[in-house]
Amino acid sequence: MISIIRTRLIHWKKQPFSLLFWLILPILATLAIQYFTSAIQEDSKVPVGIVLEEDTELAMNLYLAIKENPLIRVYDVTEEEARRKVLSHKLDSAFVIEEGYEENVKKGSRNQIITSYKSDLSFAYTPVSQTIISLVQEDTGRSKAAYTVINLDNERSWTWEEIIQTANEIQKEENLLHTTFSYASSEEKKENQIRLWNSWGVWAIFSVLSALMLADWVIKEKRSSIKPRFPFIRFTYKWYYMGNLVPYTVLFLLIDLTAVMLFNLLLSETITSKLLLSMLSFRMMLQMGTFLFAYCFRNLYFYYILSFVLTLFVILISGVIIPMNSSWDVINPLNAFINQEVISGYLMLFTVLLIIWLMKGEKRNA
Amino acid sequence: MLKVESLAKSYRNKVIIDDISFTINKGDIVGLVGENGAGKSTLLSILATLKKPTKGNIFLEDKSFDHSKKAIRREIGYVPQDLALWEEFTVEENMIFFEQLSWVNRNKDELRQLCVDMKLEKWKEPVHSLSGGMKRKLNLAISLIHQPNLLLLDEPTVGIDLKSKTEIGNYLHTLAKKQQKMIIYTSHDMEEIRQLCDYVIVIGKDTFYKEILLKSGKPVLSF
Repeated sequence: MISIIRTRLIHWKKQPFSLLFWLILPILATLAIQYFTSAIQEDSKVPVGIVLEEDTELAMNLYLAIKENPLIRVYDVTEEEARRKVLSHKLDSAFVIEEGYEENVKKGSRNQIITSYKSDLSFAYTPVSQTIISLVQEDTGRSKAAYTVINLDNERSWTWEEIIQTANEIQKEENLLHTTFSYASSEEKKENQIRLWNSWGVWAIFSVLSALMLADWVIKEKRSSIKPRFPFIRFTYKWYYMGNLVPYTVLFLLIDLTAVMLFNLLLSETITSKLLLSMLSFRMMLQMGTFLFAYCFRNLYFYYILSFVLTLFVILISGVIIPMNSSWDVINPLNAFINQEVISGYLMLFTVLLIIWLMKGEKRNA
Repeated sequence: MLKVESLAKSYRNKVIIDDISFTINKGDIVGLVGENGAGKSTLLSILATLKKPTKGNIFLEDKSFDHSKKAIRREIGYVPQDLALWEEFTVEENMIFFEQLSWVNRNKDELRQLCVDMKLEKWKEPVHSLSGGMKRKLNLAISLIHQPNLLLLDEPTVGIDLKSKTEIGNYLHTLAKKQQKMIIYTSHDMEEIRQLCDYVIVIGKDTFYKEILLKSGKPVLSF
């Protein structure tokens, strides 16, 4: 086996750049796509001006709540600036949190506590204003509820501040609407960090392509001029193939581990044992699958073309880029990995097919 | 010693080789000649264990081809007519590549010496930049890495210059006479056969064969 690996090293030495390119393509492409889409997402946030006219806790909380919205980019402006920038369309709209906001909320008054500015090109005015209105209504509703509790509770004398604080705490703990998915023992992701596409999904798509491209050695060896020498070497033809598959798999696994570390570092993707195991399973599935696929070909260019077509098909059915109906999950080769499952139908299928291939016709060169 | 007894080969009722028997001793160089389609390559393939005969027996040092194919292959050095080399590799890389897959471990110095003995000195040159003669020498050198006792060469000098042809011939002569290797050699060049071989096996389309004595003093065996 070591001897076969050494022969593969001679091949690798002859084409280090192409090998390196296809190996690191999934990592580079995923990072590039995620940074690019993040930048676009950042640019596509609605620019909204906020004028904060009072320095109370409620006003500040409203300001922070608007700022945390992943679809709004907040600019701190004066009222004069706000008017000018909305007029010149530098801001989509502007909202003035008027002096006396907290007092009005406490009084339960909901009339004209926020003033807004919009222009004829304020396309996002309606959703942004509705968002802000809902936040204000949350505050006024909570305040009204607090007064109701104070009036009803005769045994314990709650203050307005205590009730609001308790309500905020309960909301934080049980707030279903804003709960983001997170792994056990991992930090919850902020909504601002939610990405357009699943990083591992993007990585998996490019991994399919890179595995297909690097499996071309199977066709090159199969049709190579050295084939007449195989009966006179100490390995059978199939054992020689298997021996070549090992260094490729080891190399891929090392690069996969690098991807895990880099994505953790740069994309804040969590490292879990489930991820590592499903990744190992995915890699084995890919290696066996691409090997068997490549073995069916004699024409290298036809193989390259079909590899790209196959990757496009995987992109379509995987639901990573374009959301797809779950009925495609049965044939989606990325499904198990994206769902972090260790055993997949494809893994079992390719294992069985590889065993059949190994056993069939093994005596030919023996 | 290689002993071939009543060997025959047919494809779909078409007789390619019929009832050939001969013996080759250590140190013999035997030319295998015949017109195109006469069955030279088929006979060479059978002797290389790549094809099975329809009838007959072959023994190499008392080992039957029927029962000890794997062991016999270790004794055979087969030089295919088409160059079986990695064109993008250097001479050194080709030698190391096939040494790694060979039954015998040989170090780099030994591999290099094998090439030097064959007057193939462009050790670091990529194969695609070598002349036809150099490529043929490398093709032969690779087949000798595992030190086989029986060397089967399918037109090893086709399309190369006279100098390279002579150098290969001289090397094969040294192998046979000094290292007592058995060599079977197909060629269309009768002059080359006449100079190099001890005797010739001629096979024809009409399934006849004969052995012709050339220079070793052995009798003409049969017609």
